[in-house]
Amino acid sequence: MGNTSRWLDVEVGADDTNLNTLPSNVVTVDLQNDNEFKLLIGDLGRGDEPSKLKVYKGAIQTADMVLPDVPLGVVGFYSSDTVPPPFPNIAVGFSSCVYIYRNMKLFYKYYLPTLELNTVEMDIWKQLIDTKNHELKIISSLTDNLKSMPYQYLSSQSQRFLSLNPDQQLEYLQQSPKPLVHKLAEVTCLATLRMNSVERFAVSCLIVGTEDGDVIVLDPQTFTQLHQAKLENNKVPFQMVTTGLYQVDYRIVVATREKSVCLLKREWKEGRILFNTDEHIIAIEVMTADNSVMVICTDNTMTCYSRKGKKQWSIQLEHRPVSMTSLGVMHLGAVLTGVALASGHLQLYHGKARQDTVFIRDVASVVKFGQLGQEEHVLMIVTASGNLMLKILNRTADFNSPAAGAEAARGAGRPWLIPNKSKLFLEQAKRERDSAIQMHEKFQGELARLRLTAAKALLDAYSKSDNNIGKGALEPIRLSAEVEGLGPVFRVTLTVQNTAADRAVVGLAILFHVHNAAYKVHNPYIKIPLLSPSSSLHFPTKVEEIFEGDFHPDVLFRSVSGQGGARSLVKILLLKDGNRSPALAATLQMPPTDPLMLPQPITDDTHNFALVADLYERYKILLLKAGGRSPALAATLQMPPTDPLMLPQPITDDTRNFA
Amino acid sequence: MGLLEKLSLWLGGGAREVSVVVLGLDNSGKSSLLRALHPPPRTPAAEEPPPPPTVGTRQDHFTAGGVSFSAVEVGGGRRHRALWERHYRAADALIYVVDAADPLRLVVSRSELQLVLAAGGARRVPLLVLANKSDRPDALHHLQVAQALSLEQVQGVPWHICAASAASGAGLAEGVAWLARELRTTHASRKGQH
Repeated sequence: MGNTSRWLDVEVGADDTNLNTLPSNVVTVDLQNDNEFKLLIGDLGRGDEPSKLKVYKGAIQTADMVLPDVPLGVVGFYSSDTVPPPFPNIAVGFSSCVYIYRNMKLFYKYYLPTLELNTVEMDIWKQLIDTKNHELKIISSLTDNLKSMPYQYLSSQSQRFLSLNPDQQLEYLQQSPKPLVHKLAEVTCLATLRMNSVERFAVSCLIVGTEDGDVIVLDPQTFTQLHQAKLENNKVPFQMVTTGLYQVDYRIVVATREKSVCLLKREWKEGRILFNTDEHIIAIEVMTADNSVMVICTDNTMTCYSRKGKKQWSIQLEHRPVSMTSLGVMHLGAVLTGVALASGHLQLYHGKARQDTVFIRDVASVVKFGQLGQEEHVLMIVTASGNLMLKILNRTADFNSPAAGAEAARGAGRPWLIPNKSKLFLEQAKRERDSAIQMHEKFQGELARLRLTAAKALLDAYSKSDNNIGKGALEPIRLSAEVEGLGPVFRVTLTVQNTAADRAVVGLAILFHVHNAAYKVHNPYIKIPLLSPSSSLHFPTKVEEIFEGDFHPDVLFRSVSGQGGARSLVKILLLKDGNRSPALAATLQMPPTDPLMLPQPITDDTHNFALVADLYERYKILLLKAGGRSPALAATLQMPPTDPLMLPQPITDDTRNFA
Repeated sequence: MGLLEKLSLWLGGGAREVSVVVLGLDNSGKSSLLRALHPPPRTPAAEEPPPPPTVGTRQDHFTAGGVSFSAVEVGGGRRHRALWERHYRAADALIYVVDAADPLRLVVSRSELQLVLAAGGARRVPLLVLANKSDRPDALHHLQVAQALSLEQVQGVPWHICAASAASGAGLAEGVAWLARELRTTHASRKGQH
C-alpha cells in the first residue's frame, strides 16, 4: 500500500469554487492565531459578481467579504508585538488606497499621497471644463494636446478621458467635472517587510508600490510614511520581494513593467536597476539562501541572476510560464522553484535541474506554497477555470532523485572549476615561456620515439603474423594452443574451434613451423576432419627440444634464459585447401626445459666408483649434485660374498657352439 | 465455552496487559482521548486545558471490557512519525486517531496509516479508528472519514471505526469495547490452537 507519489491530492468540492484571481491576491495567514493557516484570496470577480475577499479553511470556504473595488494586492502582517500576539492585519490594495482589515473588519484606510499635476495638463483641463469650449472641434484639438504628452505621466482622469470617443467626451464635460488640481497615485502592488525580528509574530511594515514608480514603506501601527524611494526612470513596479529587516538591513527586489528588475536597499532614495531582461517579466522570486533572483519571462525562459545582477544561467521552458513560487522544504534542506506552464504542468526545479513534474490538467493561474491549516507543505493552485487545487507534500517525499540535480546546481554558481594558481603552476608557466624552443624540440623527439616504438610493434606483429582470429569467411574459426610438460618433450594441444552456429568447415590442415635445430615436431602436418557447427577439436602433438651433443649442466644452466627469442617460438599455421596464404596463424612461446629432466651424462667420478666397487667388494653410495665435481654425501656398504653358483655363467665359445 | 470461561481463560494468563499503540497526526487528540479513558472521570475534560503536544512517547494505562490496556502514545508531529512503525510492530492493537474536523489533512492521515500498516507486514492486530472531535459542527461523519482513509482497502486486519469525542467522552467506550472483544476472541482462538 506504499504510496510512492510525492504529492497527496486533497479532494476539493469543485462545484461552487469559481475563483478569478492573480498571484498577488493570494496569501496564507494565521487569521485566528490558532496555528491554523487560512487561505485568503482576493477574488477579482467574474462578470456581474463583485470583487470579494474569500477565506478558505483547508479546501472549504468559511467566509467572504465584498470588496469596494478590484483588489490589487493582499498581504497579512502583524502590527504590534504584544503578548499574546494580536490578530494579524490584512491589507488590501485598491486603486489609490490601501484598506487594512483586522479580524475581518475594516480597521484603517490609507490613501496614497497626492501628486502635483503637470501645469500643461492642468491648463488643458481648465480649458476643457470651460463651457465656451464645449464644441467637438475645440475638444479634439485640446485632446490632441493631451495626447502629445507622455501617456504614463497623465493623471488617471486624463487617461480615462482619452479613451472615450468624441461624443462621450462631450457628454463627460457637460457633466461639469471638478477642475483637476491633484493627481492621485495608483497602487500597483503590496509587500511586507519585517521590522526587527524574523520570528513568526514579528511586526512587519507595509510596502506599497505605485504607478508612478514610488515605493513607500509604512509604519506598522500609525500607517505613516517611514521611507519613500523612487525607482530609476520612474519604472512601474508590479511585484516586490523583500528580504532582511527594516531596522537592520534589507533588500527590496522590484520587478517592473519595463523589462527590468530594480533593487532598493536601506536608505536608498532611488531604486537602481539590477538587471534588464530581453522580454517582459512574468514573475520573480528571490532565493533566501543567496539572494539570487529567479525570473520567468514571456520568451519562455527561466533565468537566475546573482544578487549583484549577474546572469548565472538560463533555461528554456517548454511552454509559456504562468506563475512561479518558491518551495522551501526545510527537512530536505532544499528550496525548489515551482513554475506553472501554460501546458497545464507544474515543474519543480532545484537550481536548474528539474526534479519533478506535476500534471494539473488545467492551466494554473496562481501557484503558492506554504502552510495551510496545520500542514506545513501545501501547494495551492488556482486554475484559470476557477478551481482550487491543494496538494500536500508527502512526508516520505525525496527530491534527491538521480537527476544529478545537485551537481547541476553546484555548477550553476561557479561555471568553471578552475583551481587556484599554485606556485608549481606559476613556475611551470615561467619555464614554458623561457625555454619554449627546447621544450618543443624535446617534445618532437619524444614523439618520434613513440612513433618508432609503434612501428616496431607493428613490424613485430607482422613478422610473427600473429592472427589467431580469422577474417572474412573464416571468421568463426578460432585457433588456440596449450603447452604441457617440463621438457625436453612437451605436449602441445591445439584446439580448433568453429563458433558458427550453422556452417561446417572442411579442408583445414595444421602445419607446424619451427626452428629445425631447436625443436623436433613428431607430427608437423595434421589434417583436420570436418569441423561441425559450434564444436571444437583437440590435437595433441609431441614437440621435443633438441640440445647440442656436448652440453654440460653448467653450460645448460647459463643458456636456459638465453633459449628465448626467435629460437623458442613455434609457429602454427592453419591452412585451407586451395588458399595460398594461411588462414590463421598462432605463435607459441615454448617454455625452457627444466634441466633436471635432462638425462644425466656419465661423469668421471662414477667411472671411478665402478672401479672402487670392483676392487674392494664394497659399495660406496654417493649423493651427487648435478654439476658438482665431488659428491655431496657418501655411504659405504660392505657387500656379502657372492655365492659362485649364483653367478651368471659367462658366455663362452662353447655355448655358442651349443646354440 | 461460555463468556465467563473465556474471561477466566484470559485472566488465567496472569495479570498480563495488552499493549496498544495510539497513533494519529499531531493535534488529532490522542493525549486528550487517553485522558478521557481513565476510569475515574475527574473533572470534565472540556474544562481542562488541552494537553501540550506530545514529544516522543507517553505511557498510559486503562481498563476496558475486562481487558487491561497498556497504551503507548507516540507523538504525531512530522518528525515523530518515523517512529510509528517501530511501536506498531511491538503492539497487540492499534488505535488510530483522526481529526474529523480537519478534512484537509485526512489525506495525510490516510497516507501515514497506509505506511504504518504496510510496515507491519502480515501482522493481524486489530485496528480501531477513532474519528475524534466529532462533536464539532464542521466535523465529518465517521463513515466519510472511513471513506477518506480508504479503510475498505485495508485487508487482513480487523478494523472498526467510530465517532468519538475526547472532550465529552462520547463514543470512546464503544470503540474500546470492540477492541477488547476482538482481542479476547483472537486470544481464545490462539489458545484453542495450542
